[in-house]
Amino acid sequence: MTKLLFLSALTFTAMFSLCGKEAKPAASVATPAVAGQPDDWEGIVRIEASFLLPDYRTPWQGGRPSSGSGTGWMVGKNKFITNAHVVSNSTKLVIRTMNDPEPHEARIVFIAHDCDLAMIEAVDPKFAEPLKPLKLDGIPKLNTEVIVVGYPVGGDRMSVTRGVVSRVDFQSYSHSGIDQHLTVQVDAAINPGNSGGPVLQNGKVVGVAFQGYSGAVAQNVGYIIPVPVIERFLKDVSDGEYDHYMDLAITDFPIENPAQIKALGLENDGVGVMISNVESAGAAGGLIEIGDVILSIDGNTVYNNGLIRVDGDMIDMNEIVERKFAGDKIEVEILRKGEKKKVELTLKRFLPYLTLGEQYNERPRYVLYAGLLFQPMNRNLMDAHGIRDPLVNYVFDNYLTKEIYKERPEVVVLTTILPDKVNSFLVGYQQSIVDEVNGVKIKTLKDVAEALKIKEGDGKFVVIKLLEKNRPLVLKREFSDVAHPRIMQTYEVSADSYLGDE
Amino acid sequence: MNTFRLILPILSLLGGIGFAQQVTPPQKEEPVINVPIQVTTAENTSLVKVNVTNQPWSHRIPWQKTSPGARRGLGVLLEGNRILVTAQMVGDATYIELEQAESGRKLTAKMKAVDYEANLALLEPADAPADFFAGLKPLSIVTTAKIGDKLETWQLGRVGDLIITPLEINKVLVTRYALETSLFLTYETVGIIRTEANSFTLPVVKDGKLAGLLLRYDSKNQTGVVLPGPIIEHFLTDVADGEYQGFASLGVEYQTTLDEQFREYLGMSKDTPGVYISTVAKDGSAQSLGVKEGDIILEMNGKKIDSRGDYKDPLYGTLNMSHIVRGNSYVGENLKIKVLREGKEVELSGKLTRKNPKDFLVWPYLFDRGSNYLIMGGLVFQDLSMPYLQSFGEDWETSAPLRLVFTAKHTDEYEKQGKRKLVILAAALPTRTTQGYERVGGSIVTKVNGLDINDMSDLDKAFKEPKDGLHTIELEDFPKILFIDAITAESDNLKLLNGAFRIGSLKKIE
Repeated sequence: MTKLLFLSALTFTAMFSLCGKEAKPAASVATPAVAGQPDDWEGIVRIEASFLLPDYRTPWQGGRPSSGSGTGWMVGKNKFITNAHVVSNSTKLVIRTMNDPEPHEARIVFIAHDCDLAMIEAVDPKFAEPLKPLKLDGIPKLNTEVIVVGYPVGGDRMSVTRGVVSRVDFQSYSHSGIDQHLTVQVDAAINPGNSGGPVLQNGKVVGVAFQGYSGAVAQNVGYIIPVPVIERFLKDVSDGEYDHYMDLAITDFPIENPAQIKALGLENDGVGVMISNVESAGAAGGLIEIGDVILSIDGNTVYNNGLIRVDGDMIDMNEIVERKFAGDKIEVEILRKGEKKKVELTLKRFLPYLTLGEQYNERPRYVLYAGLLFQPMNRNLMDAHGIRDPLVNYVFDNYLTKEIYKERPEVVVLTTILPDKVNSFLVGYQQSIVDEVNGVKIKTLKDVAEALKIKEGDGKFVVIKLLEKNRPLVLKREFSDVAHPRIMQTYEVSADSYLGDE
Repeated sequence: MNTFRLILPILSLLGGIGFAQQVTPPQKEEPVINVPIQVTTAENTSLVKVNVTNQPWSHRIPWQKTSPGARRGLGVLLEGNRILVTAQMVGDATYIELEQAESGRKLTAKMKAVDYEANLALLEPADAPADFFAGLKPLSIVTTAKIGDKLETWQLGRVGDLIITPLEINKVLVTRYALETSLFLTYETVGIIRTEANSFTLPVVKDGKLAGLLLRYDSKNQTGVVLPGPIIEHFLTDVADGEYQGFASLGVEYQTTLDEQFREYLGMSKDTPGVYISTVAKDGSAQSLGVKEGDIILEMNGKKIDSRGDYKDPLYGTLNMSHIVRGNSYVGENLKIKVLREGKEVELSGKLTRKNPKDFLVWPYLFDRGSNYLIMGGLVFQDLSMPYLQSFGEDWETSAPLRLVFTAKHTDEYEKQGKRKLVILAAALPTRTTQGYERVGGSIVTKVNGLDINDMSDLDKAFKEPKDGLHTIELEDFPKILFIDAITAESDNLKLLNGAFRIGSLKKIE
């Protein structure tokens, strides 16, 4: 289950090494298997990715070329598991094994940004034939030893580090920034380049190394994606399509206060967690209400802190949803105004939350007219433009909580004005939310593209109304239509819009 | 999932920005080499030293005051044993004292009138002055200073000698005084000022008459900003009639009409001047006159308004139109506006008004008083105010709870709901009552025990009616509903009064 994260106090670094930061020996000579190097590990491969990082400030351009490397491992015939962040935005992938001098071109089969996992395959399956897939185990116990195998910085050949399982907990996955799943924390060194690599116990995979703490915040803290998450991914894609995690889209509030127990009519037995928010467009919308108390979920007792007991360990109740798929049902027992009720929820995704997360493998969408650049609001956009405008920040921050997505499925922002004599009096109105164009209320970026063509009134003017900005932006069409190609030429803009149709 | 977006660590609040910290007295800097400072000395005839102890309220710990601070400045003696100072000087004062420069004699003073928007205050002796003012001559006000006029600043030396430095007015414009909200007439001056002790807000004099008070001095550019005679005169006239009404404001936001395409869209001909009205403030003069958003203001009181929003002032030349309302008119006087509306000229007229700060849903500023608050079992409720938001630091617009910042600018809906003030749950003190609620705060309170909360008195009343021994608090934001035990809350209240927090009073409702 994906979780909506509004505040992340943690600074994570994805353990993915970008080339150029490390010394790269040139030699790539075939070498015989090193003594003691188990052949079983030949399926643990180095993945080299070249990618284009889209620039949301100049969305018409292809982006900035870059490259990096990570680790992957064979899970089945010519199918390799790695992190989504290793292969995101990639234009070219190459697999290298430990002892094979040949680079092998590879491609993405499935990619799951919400749990930072991807499956890739070599274009030529023959190469993988001699390789042995690794086997999956379960969740490792606390204080048991694990090793992390991969191709981190510091050299070209395979590296092994060792440590123990420090913690099993729900954690934010930094790749999307908005999803939380079960995570295992280990104290083995996990470094850039380890990303996607297997974490082994008794020769079997117990996780995928994926992120750690950066800087001086904490030491020897590395996180791995545990087997339940990997298995869910494998099961999800087994029908040929990745359907994503499902979401209850509710917010709970722990019950610690005796007054809550009394007011909500609970027995003082530690059972039940209060619901403080329900997204009406989510799976629980209309079925669970604010102030309801969840007593159990699929028969698992939910305690006051929102945890349930799984295999003897306390774990977030969302773990039940985590292991389910689109269309699955769960039964939630609630207490509403002192009355027990059973509610059946049909699981689905809650899409508006994606706006708040990092997006990958997406070409930035935009509309440019007479130097005015319109783009839909999302996290990438907010970061790239460094938007400080309080209103835009408020809308971004409250996009879910104030259900702004209902009125504006896409919040369109006038992000930039490419200066020209036609728009020189409009400078200063950048970073505003577009409310209306030529009398049409703007709900999506497409609306902008269509509305710009509309001739309102006598059609002499293009009129753009910005949310809470104090005057309409007005362009005289006979000037702006002429200026438009001129501006595109001056600023090297190849196409005046990309609406995501291709 | 538990999302605590609004975390208000109430223990780290003491660095709040009060009025005091924003005040910039003339900065001391090394004298610039090779520029002779023309200073002459003379005998002091009209100035007294003013020593003020001030203690602003804490806006985040509303039952506490910050530690007392001291300000020393100069006051100008006016007719009737009245002393003129800036409001900055005496804001949140706990003790005001006048000191004779030469003899060091002291006299306790009190505030007679103050206008924080115009940044002016009038003091008077708290005790019988006897012969305290003997030997001093009151200054009169000159309101006719203009660009190019030579002025002097007066300062007092260590033994009461008058130090005179020359200044020249090089600009007259409308700018901010101390509060962000208020634009007023100012003189900008050039001239080097060497600062002495007691240099807070120096008198600026022309031909032996008071022409203004120095608000700011920029030692790098050697420019000063002077609160001018006409505004002082306006303030004194208003005080004189016994009922202080303050400076009228038009209550509009406007946009320039320099953009030819925009002008054509608005139907303005090539040589139509005027500005586009983008916002008409609620309960302002413009609203009562019937000005509408989208109007083009062409004339005010017969003065033509140009495309930048300026008019030609007979004394100062090009000046922002706000001075017509602010400096040249009084509350209750008539204002005539000519607007262009849908291509037709419309004449509007009506009485000028001023919206009292206490009539705003969100307090614009708080001086000489703290925020209204109420503590119940450790939950701290207070009125939403700009000082509260500003206490989050320089970049409060993004570092204060975003929803409250947004709300402070969007009060219409709340006013329609009948709210008089916005009561927020600001924080939870650690008590038995608030167990589990430690990280709650920064949300507007909608209902308590089923009753609508439109101001702090409503909250006070609602807490008198617990149901089944419980108080139910409904919030606009996370976690939406809080329950506290009424009896536990009462016993915690007693502990808060007498325990480590030493809260003097559990509520302040003024």
